[in-house]
Amino acid sequence: MIDIKNLYKAFGEIKVLKGIDVSIAEKEVVVIIGPSGSGKSTLLRCINYLEEPTAGEIVVDKIPLNNESNINKVREEVGMVFQRFNLFPHMTVLENILLAPMKVRKLSKDAARADALALLEKVGLSDKAQAYPAQLSGGQQQRVAIARALAMKPKIMLFDEPTSALDPEMVNEVLEVMKKLAKEGMTMVVVTHEMGFAREVGDRVLFVDDGKIVEQAAPAVIFEHPHEERTKLFLSKVL
Amino acid sequence: MDFDFALVVSSLPLLLEGAFVTIQITAISVSLGICIGLFAGIARISHFWALRALAAVYVDFIRGTPLLVQIFLMYFALPVITGLRIDPFVAAITACSVNSGAYVAEIFRAGIQSIDEGQMEAGRSLGMSWSQTMRYVIVPQAFKRVIPPLGNEFIALLKDSSLVSVIGFEELTRRGQLIIARTYGSLEIWFSVAVLYLIMTLTISRFVAYLERRYKTDDRH
Repeated sequence: MIDIKNLYKAFGEIKVLKGIDVSIAEKEVVVIIGPSGSGKSTLLRCINYLEEPTAGEIVVDKIPLNNESNINKVREEVGMVFQRFNLFPHMTVLENILLAPMKVRKLSKDAARADALALLEKVGLSDKAQAYPAQLSGGQQQRVAIARALAMKPKIMLFDEPTSALDPEMVNEVLEVMKKLAKEGMTMVVVTHEMGFAREVGDRVLFVDDGKIVEQAAPAVIFEHPHEERTKLFLSKVL
Repeated sequence: MDFDFALVVSSLPLLLEGAFVTIQITAISVSLGICIGLFAGIARISHFWALRALAAVYVDFIRGTPLLVQIFLMYFALPVITGLRIDPFVAAITACSVNSGAYVAEIFRAGIQSIDEGQMEAGRSLGMSWSQTMRYVIVPQAFKRVIPPLGNEFIALLKDSSLVSVIGFEELTRRGQLIIARTYGSLEIWFSVAVLYLIMTLTISRFVAYLERRYKTDDRH
């Protein structure tokens, strides 16, 4: 589903990704962990080209990310959830969800609305359709953001630290929605510090440090029997 | 010192006509200026360098030269090139809108750049193009933020429109001059002209304050 070969990314002099090779299968849930500044968010953001790689090759759903029209095609297939939600504050929850399906998929308002309401129900926010983002809690906003991304019927969902900006009591409501998605067979790539989630939901965990994938394995293996010293050191700090 | 109130009263209809013309030039120029400014402001941050350069030259030229000189260029210099006489009204409107557009462009550019980058990223990640995201997500939010500086620009332009009196266009200031030429009532007429400008600018600033309150919906995240 996603093939990344020899990916490099530098911001000016600072090299953030130093040769990443990874393939992600359909319906796989891959969790990326690692210290801050390790490049894990950058790696995720390269998948839908929010960051332009310095070198390397990315193919998503057989579409190579090598020109503007392909990039837009890939973005239509890949949903993204951000750490800071990035809801559109001047629109209601419903309008947030309707916008892209209407403008990009050219759905009629009625068709888009039916989908949107079904998605709001799925994330447990049917009663908030007419609310503005600022009237919602962080957890509710993040669930709306997930519904907004799902409205494009993506084949892949990317999550960039989706619970890091939330108060602790709101983390679970967001994780529950993500678990539901994983169970339904969504292909997911999740950057997170929630090790419990990684262990429970992840099919594979990538440990990224200093711009490279240091180690990757099934969660049980990586959490119980990590091979690399750096992985052990990192896990000893977060577990 | 004698202040001839009768002169003020008798001149008032002519002055009010002038004030009305001032409002007309300002309103038309501000509207055109907002259109020009929106495009120029977006061009300033476009990823096409040619557009960016063009917009930068426009903004620099307009902001770096006096409006009075721009009016002269429009009214006296341009006809030399084109060979066509230009109507004072057209010259006045064109000079004022083009001038205002440059200032409005900077206001919009700043307003757009003040919107969190995550908004553009969210739009793009949903598959919307840069221009779709600009149009539906960024510009509507920027609009609210630029209401106060746009109000200032509106007031500045209303006052600066007095400069078009130099090409003989009969707005408020020019009317004042003409009445004084006939009646020698400098004190009364300039005083009345000032009061009329003040009434107009105060009205605009009240209106802008009202808009600001009305659109002050929450845009916290």
